Amino acid sequence: MSLLDTDRTTVRIASREAETAIGDVLRDADSEVHAVGSTGVPAVEPLVLLTEDGRTAFFAACSVGRAEALLTGLEDGFDSVVDGADAVVEHDPNAARLPATDLPELSAGQRTVLGPCGWLRPTDPDDYEAAVGFGGSDPETIRELGAEILGRGWGDWCQDRTLADSWETAREADGDPTVVVNAHGTGADTLLSSSAPFAVLDGAAAVARATDAERIVVYISQDDDHAVDQVETAVWGYPDPPVSMSVVTGPAVYRAAEPTMAIEAIEGNHRLEARLRPPGPDETGIHDRPTVVHTARTVAHLAAALDTGSPADSRLVTVTGDVAAPATVELPERARLAAALDAVDGAEEYKAACVGGRFGGLTDSLDVRAGPESLLDAGLGTEGVVELLGEDRCVVKFVGERAQFAADTNCGRCVPCREGTTQLAELLRDLYDGRYRRDGIEELIGVMERSSICTFGVDAGRPTRTAMTEFESEFHAHADGRCPAGSCPRKAEVSTT
Amino acid sequence: MSSEPFDSDDAPPLTETIAPGTASDPPLGAEDAVTVTVDGTEVTVGSGATLLDAVEAVDTDDSVPALCQYDRQDIGPRSECRTCMVETDEHGVVPACSFPAEEGLDVETAAADAAEARDVNLDLVLSDHNLRCTTCGKNGRCDLQDAAIEQEVEEPRYGVLGDREEYEPIDDSSSFIQIDRNKCILCNRCVEACNDVQVEGVLRMEGSGQDTRIGFQNGAETMEDSTCVSCGHCATVCPTGALVEKGIEDATTIPLPGFTQKNSVGKVIDGTDDSKEPMTPKKRDLPVDTAPEEDKEVRDWP
Ligand code: SF4
Ligand code: SF4
Ligand code: SF4
Ligand code: FES
Repeated sequence: MSLLDTDRTTVRIASREAETAIGDVLRDADSEVHAVGSTGVPAVEPLVLLTEDGRTAFFAACSVGRAEALLTGLEDGFDSVVDGADAVVEHDPNAARLPATDLPELSAGQRTVLGPCGWLRPTDPDDYEAAVGFGGSDPETIRELGAEILGRGWGDWCQDRTLADSWETAREADGDPTVVVNAHGTGADTLLSSSAPFAVLDGAAAVARATDAERIVVYISQDDDHAVDQVETAVWGYPDPPVSMSVVTGPAVYRAAEPTMAIEAIEGNHRLEARLRPPGPDETGIHDRPTVVHTARTVAHLAAALDTGSPADSRLVTVTGDVAAPATVELPERARLAAALDAVDGAEEYKAACVGGRFGGLTDSLDVRAGPESLLDAGLGTEGVVELLGEDRCVVKFVGERAQFAADTNCGRCVPCREGTTQLAELLRDLYDGRYRRDGIEELIGVMERSSICTFGVDAGRPTRTAMTEFESEFHAHADGRCPAGSCPRKAEVSTT
Repeated sequence: MSSEPFDSDDAPPLTETIAPGTASDPPLGAEDAVTVTVDGTEVTVGSGATLLDAVEAVDTDDSVPALCQYDRQDIGPRSECRTCMVETDEHGVVPACSFPAEEGLDVETAAADAAEARDVNLDLVLSDHNLRCTTCGKNGRCDLQDAAIEQEVEEPRYGVLGDREEYEPIDDSSSFIQIDRNKCILCNRCVEACNDVQVEGVLRMEGSGQDTRIGFQNGAETMEDSTCVSCGHCATVCPTGALVEKGIEDATTIPLPGFTQKNSVGKVIDGTDDSKEPMTPKKRDLPVDTAPEEDKEVRDWP
């Protein structure tokens, strides 16, 4: 039976872990106790949610002691414990999503795509059926929505482009299409796979219907054990799967999320490098058959749109970097990125943010809207990741490390990326020798952007390029032998050979 | 279930014994004969054509080195050097060697963005190249040398690989073919010649980032211990002095004592003399080494 239909007092424990110490305590309660997965905001977890008659009391970051007190209090009924709650909200008795609250960490943004996270038992098909419903929409409706939704993240073949064209390509190509859900690497994709795997599979099933695909492969990093387990369980529990569904893991390296490297990994290649394009995987993908590649975020967004009838005007944003614990929230596209900071502890003071993933753009202000157009206009990335750099961080060191990371972890295939990232790191090392050649750095990054085979090389120079604009004085300071943050060695101590 | 690679009933698995380490690129090229315009001249090219076929058919405004391209025997395009970038009206700057020719496309070779990309990428190739032509077996018949001369490279922006500390030793262990990886441009021609043309399954691409190199599918460290059958095809297709048939590795060096190709690198792996047979069955039995990717240490900053 679904969690939403019960008349009894329901205790939910929202946490990344299915087994929690407070779960052991609350199990003795005279109510139903359920593990509901993470909300995306670890700062409030484990979060106990007590629901009765359309009222939910929130107990954030619940300790064992607090759980024991709750257990005792509950013997006298729901009303005797609500006073001690961090928040109490009234809602529809069959609320399908975690109700909105003024709990600061959970107040950022909305919970449409994130709806099931922290509210439904992740791998219980009845919960998903009652709250959202396994979609049976007709392909035409799905395609119409696909023409309005943009792919999310660099792991999506349709990043920042609408989905429908890619589906059309796949439908017209020779052979039965495959749908790959790329859940490799990015925080929001891992969250959805762990906390809302049915939303991911349901969205993928809709893509399969829209493209006449014959199978769905969910691709996850081999290090994300929890997400792998959750999606595998959901695959087994999926009611009447319309097409075959399976989970394939890939190596836990950053570049493995690139769509064509994901396909190489799924095919079982031991070494990962990007494929040439065009044509893209939607024409010739896994074993030469058409393959559409979307991130978990994209397909969950589609599933939510099919449920509500129109695509949510929202973006999942993960805040990470110099914070107590990373958090993922769902911001309206018109909201400022700064709104996401409420969900994390330790974000009061920051010097810079890298917006758009590993190779995002640097900025000193998060007063920019979360929608992709505003982000791209501001030179930032649309990956849905905001990485904060605390007040004491050195921007030059940060972009130098990113360039070095790119040089050490690229696939090695193309010259602009393989050699370009190496030379970029060297040009940045030259700062410690007193040389700042902005023109040369810009020329190099421009060529990397315009001639690399895949997004890795296209984006690898972005941290440096944006930092040179936003924080240029720091580059000059380093060339003058001074690190304003005091974290770089002086030039005499550095060998730049 | 999760750790099993994806396989399917109706598609053949990757050829079982051949693991070249490279990606399976899609088929590239035009579907039918098409007409494109290159620097104002209309050219019609046949099905399967890339933009480079059209570029090569006209007298272009700017020269397009297309260094890694090999136009024979079904090798390539690897499309890795990116010294063939051209500007198109529809798709912006694209690599001519692998971009399918498309009806009506307008191509410009002299557009600034494309020309700059070709120049910078050629310099990037040279930045990782031991440019000691005077002690190189391919001096005078080398595609990289030709490209650098044609582009009038005088001082490559990023220098050349001149630090002897960073040189990889010359692999002189085989009595038929010598490998000098310091001159390798990673064009993959040898790997394709070995696997797709000769179907020997000896050579492969391995590593990533700056560690990307040609290696051996049996995991051997040296050519001598590889499963090489000495057909020489790899040396034939190699555009540079990276793979040279033994006996001619010094053919073009200046005839001065001590001024040799081996001295130019300084580190040499010699053969052991005890297995000059090209390939023993024992070597063939070695398991194919396909250790999966792992996270690499990132070099400290600065
Ligand atoms: S851009 Fe980088 S990661 Fe992508 S193919 Fe080129 S070398 Fe590989
Ligand atoms: S391979 Fe030899 S001839 Fe060619 S550029 Fe390099 S050193 Fe010169
Ligand atoms: S050894 Fe020669 S043919 Fe092989 S990848 Fe290197 S340059 Fe190309
Ligand atoms: S010739 Fe096109 S990339 Fe090398």
